[in-house]
This record gives sequence, structure tokens and C-alpha cells, in this order.
Amino acid sequence: MRVRFQSPERVRQKERSLSQMRVTTRVPELLFPVETDSWLTVLRLGLGLQVTLYALSLRTDWAYLFSGTARKVAEALLSLQGHFIPSLGWFVALAARVDVPEETVLLLAWLGLFVSGCALLFGVGCRFSAIAAWFLHLCAAKSGGFLSYGMDNFMTIGLFYLMLSPLPDRLSLDWRLRDLRPKNPELLGFWRRVLQLHLCIIYFFSGLTKCLGSGWWDGSNVWRALIRPPFNVIDPEILVRWKDFLPLAGILVCLLESGYPFFIWSSRTRKIWLLGVCAMHLLIGVAMGMYLFSLVMIVLNVAAFGPGFFRRKGQPIILQPEAAMS
Amino acid sequence: MLRVVAEGPTILPLSFKNFSQKAQELISIAPAEQLSPSNPVRESVNTYVQLAGIESGYGYFAPNVPSGYTLVFELHYRDGRVEYELPSVRSAAAELRIAGLLDDIGRTPYDELREILLKTLAQSIWRKHPELQSVRAILWSLTLPSVREFEQGKKESYEFLCAYDFSLQNGSAKKNDR
Repeated sequence: MRVRFQSPERVRQKERSLSQMRVTTRVPELLFPVETDSWLTVLRLGLGLQVTLYALSLRTDWAYLFSGTARKVAEALLSLQGHFIPSLGWFVALAARVDVPEETVLLLAWLGLFVSGCALLFGVGCRFSAIAAWFLHLCAAKSGGFLSYGMDNFMTIGLFYLMLSPLPDRLSLDWRLRDLRPKNPELLGFWRRVLQLHLCIIYFFSGLTKCLGSGWWDGSNVWRALIRPPFNVIDPEILVRWKDFLPLAGILVCLLESGYPFFIWSSRTRKIWLLGVCAMHLLIGVAMGMYLFSLVMIVLNVAAFGPGFFRRKGQPIILQPEAAMS
Repeated sequence: MLRVVAEGPTILPLSFKNFSQKAQELISIAPAEQLSPSNPVRESVNTYVQLAGIESGYGYFAPNVPSGYTLVFELHYRDGRVEYELPSVRSAAAELRIAGLLDDIGRTPYDELREILLKTLAQSIWRKHPELQSVRAILWSLTLPSVREFEQGKKESYEFLCAYDFSLQNGSAKKNDR
């Protein structure tokens, strides 16, 4: 047996280089985990459905919401932010040069959005459809200006990540019929991680700001949210019978949202948190009539943390991309 | 976060509110905020956050659920008739958006912006009823009852905020405050 003595300086040096090595290996592991494309399938299908339903839900009011002075005011205010932010006004101005009326442009924009949503749903021309859906929805959201709300932000976020992710996925028609393959499958893990981290930030700050309001602790905010027009889907007479549960509901909302980044990563608590957050959004959809908002939130959550959720015990969550792609 | 605490009310002590207000002022004089709107760096950052959908915070219904607003149009016909109409849309999805628009109209501190937004809504009424002489847009703030008040029979109440008169003759509206 040979014993080697080292000076404390040398030991410290070794420890430093070891911890540097840990950092250099852990950062890529954190940001570029090996990942299958199941999450991307969920995101594509979910957002395809979302875009299609979004277009259908606004079909009858599309021209009313996006035409005339309201759009021009919103776009004028938007131009103060930057000149390269897309809006429906771009198309209207271009079309005006060839004497195409505003109504026709708006109709074509709606049609483009609807078709790109359906194409995403079936996985046809995935990359192009994702870009078209993101761009057209962004134009509508920005031209809508004061008519936009949280759901539009989350659709933009989801579509932004979708169009940057390595498409197509295995369940798309592009993969099955046209034999197309993603160019950078190694980025699958990266974009999923970005979506996961983004959701953690969203829920943490949303929860934290709610915790600061006294109304979420005594349930009065839940009551107010449910009886405030146009979210008053449930009759207050029915709600008042459940008044003892309102404080519990308020505290649960605060807990689920602010605890999200702490409990969603651990395999022990992920199931509870993911189901809890999805149930919360489902209830918001049903009780407040915010179906599209709920759908986009559930899609983002399930895509980010869902795949691997229903695996059997002992079965690894991660597959090598080569295996997944074959 | 700072804005939420600064604008309050929150469960935090008043000193936090003062601190947040000062911190907000400090941030507003940060070098990036002082750049002119046409500065390429500022414009690039602004464009990126808009394209990625990250331009706004995530404090939905926080710290507390605000009261809403209601808009009523008073339609004045040439023959002296007066009718009332609410801004109407066909779909529930568009109704959610109109509610958001009314919140913005009610909360904005800029009178000119409020007038322009109300005018755009009044224009749609005008297109529907071309025989009108004038339209008065009346904005009400909605006060919701608490659970206890509701049990005692109290319903939501409306408080007059302001009214604007629009006619085909005048370019800008005449405002009537509360």
C-alpha cells in the first residue's frame, strides 16, 4: 500500500478543478437534457387545437374587433414600442396599394390562422404552419391592442417556442407520409427546458403577487372573480352555498402557483402539482367561461411536465434521441 | 412585483409600499429607460419581448380582483326618441375582450385615450343606426357585493364615472364628469 501526501494548497486546487468540472458538465445537462419528442407532439397538437378554436371563436366578430379606428389606435401605440412588431396593419397597407379592401385582408388573415391551426393539428408542413400561426396570431393580438388579454400572451409564448423547436415530431403526417426528419433533434431537450423554466417564472410571480392580496387568503377574491361580469357563469345563489370553501380555494390557488417552481421538479410531488394546476385551469374554464385560456395553460403545462408522467415505476423517463427518432 | 406593491393595497406594511414606489422611480431613471424610443438597442429589446409574448407581467387578478366597468350608449334620434344600448358582440370569446377593453377605458389616466377608445365603440353604434343625431357614452364603475352583503340581499351597484357626447358635427367629444 502506497500513501501519498499532498499539500493543502494542492488539495484545494484539485477541489476547485473538480467543482469547475461539475459546473461545466451540469450546466449542459441542465440546459440540454437528452429528450424524446413526446412533449413536442403534445405542444403541437394542443396549440393546433388552440389556434383552430381561437379562430372559430372569433369568426363572427373578427371584422368588428380588428377593423377601423380601434385597430389604428392600437397600432399607433404599438409603433411607439418598435417599428418591426407585426400587425394586421402591415397587410392592410400592402393590400391597399393594389386596391384590396380591408375586409378582404382581414378575412384572409382569419382564414390563414384557421388553416395553420388545422395544419398544426394534423402535422402538415409543421414548421411553416407553426411560423404562420405564430405570425398571424401575433398580428391579431397586437392589432387588437386593448382587446387582447392574458390568453393571447400565452398563445404567443407557446407558438414562439413551437416554431423554434425541432419539428416535425413522430406523430405528425410530415414524419409519417413525407418522411421528413428534424434537423436538430439534440435541441428537443433545450426547448422543453426553456418552456419548463418559463412556466416556473410565470407561476411563481403570479402566485407571489396573489399572496400579497388579502382577498386571496379570506376567499373574497375567488368570490369576486366568479361573480364579476362577464365571468359570472355560475349563479351567485349557488356559489353562496359553498362560501365556506372560498378561503380554501383562494389559499390553494396561491399555494399551487407560488409553489410551482419548488414542487414541479421532484418526481415525488410533480404528479400532485401538475394535476392540481391542470384541475385549477379546468375549473377556471368551466366556472368563468375562459375555455381558451384554460386550454392553452393546460397544453403548456402538459407539454412541459407531462410526458413521462404516466411511466411505470423503474422505467426511465429519458430515451436517447437516436432511439426515439428511429 | 414592485408595481403591484407600489400601487397596493397589499398585506405588506405601508413602509413596503413607500420603498416600492422609490424603487420604481429609481428603475425609471435607469440608463436603459432613459434611451430614446428610436434607440436601436431599446427598439430591438422591445421588439423581441413583443415577439416572444413576454412584454407584460404575470399578475393576473393580483393582488386583488378589481371591480369592473360598464358602458351604456344613450342613443338620441332626430325625432327626439332616446334609447339605450350596451356594446354588443356575437361571441362569448369577443365578450371577454370587450370586458378587458372597458377595464382599460375605466383605468386609463389619459382622458384623450379614453375618448378615442369610447369613440371607436360609438362608431360601431353609428354604423348600426345611421339615423342617429348624437350618441352619449356613459361609463359606470361596478361595485361588487361581498358574500355577506349578497346574503343580506345586496346586488352589484353602479357608480357614474363619466359621459362623452358624440355627434356627427363635432370632431371631439364633449365630456361630462361626475
